[in-house]
Amino acid sequence: MGVLDNLSLALSQIASWEVLLAIFIGTAYGTLVGALPGMGTVVALVVALPFTYSMGTPAAIALLLSIYCASVYGGSITAILINTPGTPQSAATVLDGYPMARSGKADLALGWATFASAFGGVFSLIVLIIAAPRLARLSVYFGPVETFALILFALTCIAWVSSGSMVKGLLAGAIGLFLASIGPDNMTGLSRFGFGIDALAGGLSLISVLIGLFALSEAFTRAAYYVQGKPPDVAGVGFRLPPWSDIRIRLRMLVQSSAIGTAIGILPGTGATAATFVSYAEAKRTSPRRENFGKGEPDGVVASEASNNAVTGGALVPTLALGIPGDGGTVVLLGALLIQGLVPGVQLFQNNPEIMIGAFIVILIANLLMVVFGAIGARGFRRVMGLPEPLLMGWVVLMSVVGAFAVRGNPIDVVVAVLAGLFGVVMRLAGVPVAPIVIGMALGKTLEQSLRQGLMLNDGSFLAFFGQPIAVGIFVITLVFVGAPIYTAYRKGRGA
Amino acid sequence: MKLKRALGVAVVAVLASGGAAQADYPERSIGMMIPFSAGGGTDVPGRFFAAEMEKILGTDIVVSNVTGAGGTIGATQLSKAKADGYSLGFMPVGTTTTQPHLRKTSYNAESWAPICLVAQGPLYVTVLEDSPIKTVDDLIAKAKSGKVVTGGPPPGSLPHIAQAAVANAYGVKFNYIPHEGINEVAKSMLGGRVDMAIWFGDAKARFGLRPLAILDVERSAEFPDVPTMTELGQPVESFVWFGFFAPAGTPEAIVTKLSDACDKAANSDGFQDNMKKAKRQVRYMPRDEFAAFFKSQYEKNGALLKEAGLVK
Repeated sequence: MGVLDNLSLALSQIASWEVLLAIFIGTAYGTLVGALPGMGTVVALVVALPFTYSMGTPAAIALLLSIYCASVYGGSITAILINTPGTPQSAATVLDGYPMARSGKADLALGWATFASAFGGVFSLIVLIIAAPRLARLSVYFGPVETFALILFALTCIAWVSSGSMVKGLLAGAIGLFLASIGPDNMTGLSRFGFGIDALAGGLSLISVLIGLFALSEAFTRAAYYVQGKPPDVAGVGFRLPPWSDIRIRLRMLVQSSAIGTAIGILPGTGATAATFVSYAEAKRTSPRRENFGKGEPDGVVASEASNNAVTGGALVPTLALGIPGDGGTVVLLGALLIQGLVPGVQLFQNNPEIMIGAFIVILIANLLMVVFGAIGARGFRRVMGLPEPLLMGWVVLMSVVGAFAVRGNPIDVVVAVLAGLFGVVMRLAGVPVAPIVIGMALGKTLEQSLRQGLMLNDGSFLAFFGQPIAVGIFVITLVFVGAPIYTAYRKGRGA
Repeated sequence: MKLKRALGVAVVAVLASGGAAQADYPERSIGMMIPFSAGGGTDVPGRFFAAEMEKILGTDIVVSNVTGAGGTIGATQLSKAKADGYSLGFMPVGTTTTQPHLRKTSYNAESWAPICLVAQGPLYVTVLEDSPIKTVDDLIAKAKSGKVVTGGPPPGSLPHIAQAAVANAYGVKFNYIPHEGINEVAKSMLGGRVDMAIWFGDAKARFGLRPLAILDVERSAEFPDVPTMTELGQPVESFVWFGFFAPAGTPEAIVTKLSDACDKAANSDGFQDNMKKAKRQVRYMPRDEFAAFFKSQYEKNGALLKEAGLVK
């Protein structure tokens, strides 16, 4: 069969009420669940999974793919409006999205987030369509040594997101790395820092820590200031797409962020959270408007949201082409495909090309629908934001606690979230940025595992790491990124 | 008002259910815990099974995934749950028979009332499709002359114990690199960093891995040309199984009722079809047989782990 035959077969499968309804529901539900603090992409997919068992294959795939894409976008809404990322992938959106909202440009911030999300999603989809099998083949050569180098590079983002004191940022990053070391050590099978508590043997979940640091600490802080008078309100809630003139000057930022997201998505083990911070750091380094970062610069929102949605297409590359999932969400997707009797991998590309093409069309529709739902949903957001503050925050606390529990069904996660919330309040008072904790936690485990795997593969020799060209390249870039600002500061210091 | 009345009815219903006779079991929805994440290796057969049990028992079965630490977090929770037949678990061999030896879990072999065995999956020695290693002998020759790098889940997992058992049988040693899961192992194999993996039959369809031998007493219907380890002269056996458990102390009448339902569910057309579609094997064992099997597996795996030096 030719490409056109496959395309028409794919279209005929999609053009049914069942499938279109699945895309519609999936996108709406994904956006909503993504926006709820605590309910991330994986929970959104897991909740929907049992419903797909009784659905036809095209509808099941359509539902899950739409949820996957839309939930990543949904996280930005609460990040912008209430300083609380709905998903870990939107943690970097808070940095500029919330300041924008506070300065009365909430509608524009949502517009940028939505536009950038759709842009990143479509960008990565194009890459997926054009180059999936080839890129997937290449991605397998990216081994533990290269992964270690990349994660080390990603950690330098801490410097870029810790506005203010660098030492405090590094401190927060170190705390994050430590938190990631709690729980099972996959290299030996032993438990660490469990203190004999059975429930801690599985480690801390990033989502529950994130819920505490962002959502709960926000609620606690607002409660503390409530009696003293209202904290600054978010103004201008609504939905406004940025004007074309603004988009045009940010086209390079959109493409750059989407490319970073897609690339990191293709490399398994790094994940969307890391991608957003790398993209944010890169934007802050290269943007002509870098002085405004952290004060409500649309570039910051674009960098974060374009990259996290670009990860969806990127992560699907190895998932569909090799059967190797690229992130947490694609693990669930893969499971769902297996249940449908479809085995992702080379055979799927050869035997069922119409399913792959169908999947591409679904992702495209879902990304475009996101914009529509964002615009319609904004009316709803305005209502919600108009609620009395205690009610709104009470609702945030409730959703947070439910979300923390729902991730793994482990009650200790609720305790962890509340403790992280209290800790988050202390950090706010001390002026320590919380974002680096998220970076440290999101990367800590992979950093350690890739280092130890790399050492095991090279008979314990770290020197052998420098025999791998890709890794050496990344090491050099890291060195330049860390060294250049220090060198400049040193020169300035001597000149003065 | 309406809401209040509905709540009142619900409260009365819950109170009444507490005092009802076991003969009426089940009279509300049953919770089924799966200690691994949704869509995973344990979850897939578990949910197929739950769907059939729902039909047979005529009540909702609410599946919950309580994940982490090799399934021990979910198993610990279940072992402490009320043994009234409304908290049940679908758990694999590792969580129930190796983890209690590896970790100081608060549960052990005595913590369960085994209901039935539902599914199994034998392990295979696999290599890449275009690997120069064509037979187990090639593999052993490579291990003797240089090194064989193998990969799998963290130490203490079934594939880890199995590779040690194969190596021991031939008097060689494989270089074991722990990975997060089979997906990562497959990536390492395709990238040429890992030579061999011990994994289930789906490794062929999913990653194009070629099975060299099956770690079972007989050949599988899926790969009739793949020899057993026994045929090759080294009787190494290792397979994962999935069983249906209630916490110990669950009333006899309820366990009997559940095991009768399990018989029908495991042998139903719906379950068999779904499992076939997902390329998984059904293996049914009734209650008494399963209880004895479970006990022997618990002891055997404990001994294997000691032999491998993972348990002191």
